[in-house]
Amino acid sequence: MKMKKIALSVLMAGVLITSCKKDKMKEPNEEEVITTMIVKLTPVGGGAVLQYSFDDPDGPGGTAAIIQEIVLAPSRSYRAEVILLNKTVSPVDTISNEVAKEKDSHRFYYEVQAGANVTVSNLDADANGVPVGLTSTWATGTISTGKMQITLRHYPAVPPNKAVADLVTSTKSGTDISTVDIGGFTIKIQ
Amino acid sequence: MLCATLLLLLNGSSFSQVCSLNLSGHVVDSDTGEKLVNATVTLLEPDRIIITNENGDFAFDNVCAGNYTIVITHISCDTVVRKITLSKRLHLDFSLPHSLNTLGTVTVTGLRGIQNTGFKKELSGKALEETKGLTLAEALSKINGVTMLQTGSTISKPVIHGLHSSRILIINNGVRQEGQQWGNEHAPEIDPFIADKLIVIKGVDELKYGSDAIAGVILVEPKPLRNTPGYAAEFNSAYFTNNRQYVVSGVWDQQLNRLPALRYRIQGTFKKGANASTPNYRLNNTGNEEKNFSITLGWKKEKFNTELFYSYFDVKVGIFNGSHIGNLTDLQNAIAAEKPDDVFLGENTYKIRRPYQDVSHQLLKLKSTIIKGEHKLNVLLGGQFNNRKEYDVVRSSSNTRPQLDLSIYTFSEDINWEHPKRKNFNGVAGISMMQQGNTYGGRYFIPNYFAYSFGGYFIEKWSMHKWELQAGIRYDNKTINTTRLRFNSSIINYDFNFSTVASSFNTIYKATELLKLNLNISLANRAPYVNELLSDGIHHGTATYEKGDITLKPEKSTNISGGVNFQNKQKTFQIDLLLYVNSISDFIYQQPRPLNPVLTIAGAFPLIEYRQTNALLSGFDLSSSVKLLSNMEWQSKLSVLNARNTSLNDWLILMPANRLSNEVSFSFKNGKTNSNSYIAVELLNVMQQKNIPGETNGKQDYKAPPGAYNLINLNASSALSFGKTKITIGIAIRNVLNTVYRDYLNSMRYFADEMGRNISVRVKIPFNHVYQ
Repeated sequence: MKMKKIALSVLMAGVLITSCKKDKMKEPNEEEVITTMIVKLTPVGGGAVLQYSFDDPDGPGGTAAIIQEIVLAPSRSYRAEVILLNKTVSPVDTISNEVAKEKDSHRFYYEVQAGANVTVSNLDADANGVPVGLTSTWATGTISTGKMQITLRHYPAVPPNKAVADLVTSTKSGTDISTVDIGGFTIKIQ
Repeated sequence: MLCATLLLLLNGSSFSQVCSLNLSGHVVDSDTGEKLVNATVTLLEPDRIIITNENGDFAFDNVCAGNYTIVITHISCDTVVRKITLSKRLHLDFSLPHSLNTLGTVTVTGLRGIQNTGFKKELSGKALEETKGLTLAEALSKINGVTMLQTGSTISKPVIHGLHSSRILIINNGVRQEGQQWGNEHAPEIDPFIADKLIVIKGVDELKYGSDAIAGVILVEPKPLRNTPGYAAEFNSAYFTNNRQYVVSGVWDQQLNRLPALRYRIQGTFKKGANASTPNYRLNNTGNEEKNFSITLGWKKEKFNTELFYSYFDVKVGIFNGSHIGNLTDLQNAIAAEKPDDVFLGENTYKIRRPYQDVSHQLLKLKSTIIKGEHKLNVLLGGQFNNRKEYDVVRSSSNTRPQLDLSIYTFSEDINWEHPKRKNFNGVAGISMMQQGNTYGGRYFIPNYFAYSFGGYFIEKWSMHKWELQAGIRYDNKTINTTRLRFNSSIINYDFNFSTVASSFNTIYKATELLKLNLNISLANRAPYVNELLSDGIHHGTATYEKGDITLKPEKSTNISGGVNFQNKQKTFQIDLLLYVNSISDFIYQQPRPLNPVLTIAGAFPLIEYRQTNALLSGFDLSSSVKLLSNMEWQSKLSVLNARNTSLNDWLILMPANRLSNEVSFSFKNGKTNSNSYIAVELLNVMQQKNIPGETNGKQDYKAPPGAYNLINLNASSALSFGKTKITIGIAIRNVLNTVYRDYLNSMRYFADEMGRNISVRVKIPFNHVYQ
């Protein structure tokens, strides 16, 4: 009889759970997507702050991403900062804040290609001393035009095991941002 | 029920002078009412053995008067004990209830092999018992012609003759399973321990469940409720060494003495596995955890019976974190690597981290049958609620939200009428309705929608002498109203309406007792699913951008199959052949568009579009069983499939490779304390899939199909008697030689090897008590 009571009560619970009609329209919330990368360049020693973006405001699909040309003055030093946004949520989410909180599982790579007369150095590092690259210093040379690839890699493993020697193609990490397929940032020094 | 053993024990018999009495009886299966033929009736002290005849009858002549205890045992049924006093001529009727799992028992004398013919293939008994602790799809893949589509070792779904997902209807305890079955990594949400039988059907009977069963119907059938006052319990447990997976499952059945109309069952399963290991490395985050229970309540009277069933299923499955892909370049790098990076390997833990899936499914069903004269009316009401949450790798460790959250509820109503048998005709007509609502949260993959459908069917069967003819027709109409709310608050609505017709004709000809021929022609129509119409997003498991097409039409299948089943007179040889040709026009498939990648901030993703083409799937399943010695049997299964895209004159992608399985089993004689003992060795050869789409229009796949592989598997089992309790112990070894291999239909083949050697031990402890 006891068994029967248990059976009946569990069954009633089941009826209640199942009859709860979940009809509400949930707010779509794609929280992890990065739509926009802004490179903010502050000239060392004064001057106007420059901002260039790689932007896909509606996220994957839909309208295509747009990448801007970065125009810099010759023989200057810039303090660079990367800002990442998710514009598909309201209010806009600043993802670079999350990256800053999880530095040990993120890393930016700046790959300057032939023609671009710029060197990137002084990348910020995580607690283990491994580069992160949310901030860096860009030093330009003579007048030139070339490409730079910026890649953000995310380490999904627990712990992330991020190491100085990791290449941009390391299978330890996956790509969050890559300018490679769109052709990279054009760096124009004039 | 094929066989029964009936034991008559003479107990404390006070011998009187009268020794010319007649004791006769009749034995039936209490669940099906079938007479039990070939039952062995043993009268001990002095030993007398009689086999029941084709009517289930037996008779002993010249029995002395006295008190006897009659013990009736049946390899598939519970033991029935009855005390009798024999003082005059006596006739007794016995009805033997099914034991909790009809499963187990191997008849030492009978063929272990195929009992499946034509278009109904069944997994039950010993074969099903060997799969205890495995997933539903793994169990089903023991059936020839059924293979698996996998994502790692923990997510698997059945494939019948090359087709899967929404082309297969899974009927869970009579109700059509409705979840998010469209996804390749969405496994059926069913506890295999519920099943007493897993049946794959094709042909006329499909029409009871839908017009869209292009590949077939899988029935997950629980054991009927108890039909003898008393109670029974069964405890099943298994442990697997490879991933330290353990399973415990219990079931309790009771029929009350005072209220025999009321029967009930309570059943539950808990399963937990740690990370799985390939022969050379252990894959992190490949654990699983499953919690299921079900309750059945039945009320049975002569003219009316009703059954209320509730089941809850919940599974949490880790997905190998080395397979979480950022973009196409990452995927190519991962594929180029011989093995995953060490950071994703070597952790031996039960802990499940992101990425993982958490899926729950609830089913409530009420089935009632009203019997009036020879008419039978069945009313089936079903309610299902399914929730699928996918937790991706996220940036913030404090984020506990799922990134994809799909909730779907389904109500279904089915009414059918079985008309009385007249002049060799019997048939069933029915109507069915369904209402379904789907909502999503998090990332978009399919829209919110409300769908409703109604349909009707009529099936008629005629049998006479050697012939059996069956025909049926079904019509369905489905309306889908979809809504997608975009981030900028714009709303996109699409509405669809599809009408589909299916029909089927089947003929069976029993040429002799030993030779059976079967021919079937089925037309089925499947309306496109919401994901095929409207999916739009990145699929991180495969680094593809999947895009639906709102102009898709229903696909139309014409399936012709022929079957031959033959066994020799001595029943030492049996062969079963099924040939099939399935021509599908407007076959919906995913066409890679390598020249049109989707550019995102994360880089390029190859575009895959839903397209329609004409397809022709043909092949055969051949099984044979040969009794080499009285205790040794050789069983082989061959499954061959050719899948063509006839419009493009090319092969279809992701079709199972041909395979051959050979198994030799030895049975041991029953001893005093052990019975049904056997040991079986299987050699499985899976060929390389060479029939893949050509690459003249660009790359169709990232990696060539893996090579052929051979696996050796071992299975042994014995039932040990401890007093009245018979405990069955089984030992199995999968991949005995720890072979390194990958399977074409496992999406993990891009990254990692398959599971290595896995030794498992299982125990079954049944209890049964019959009220006196």
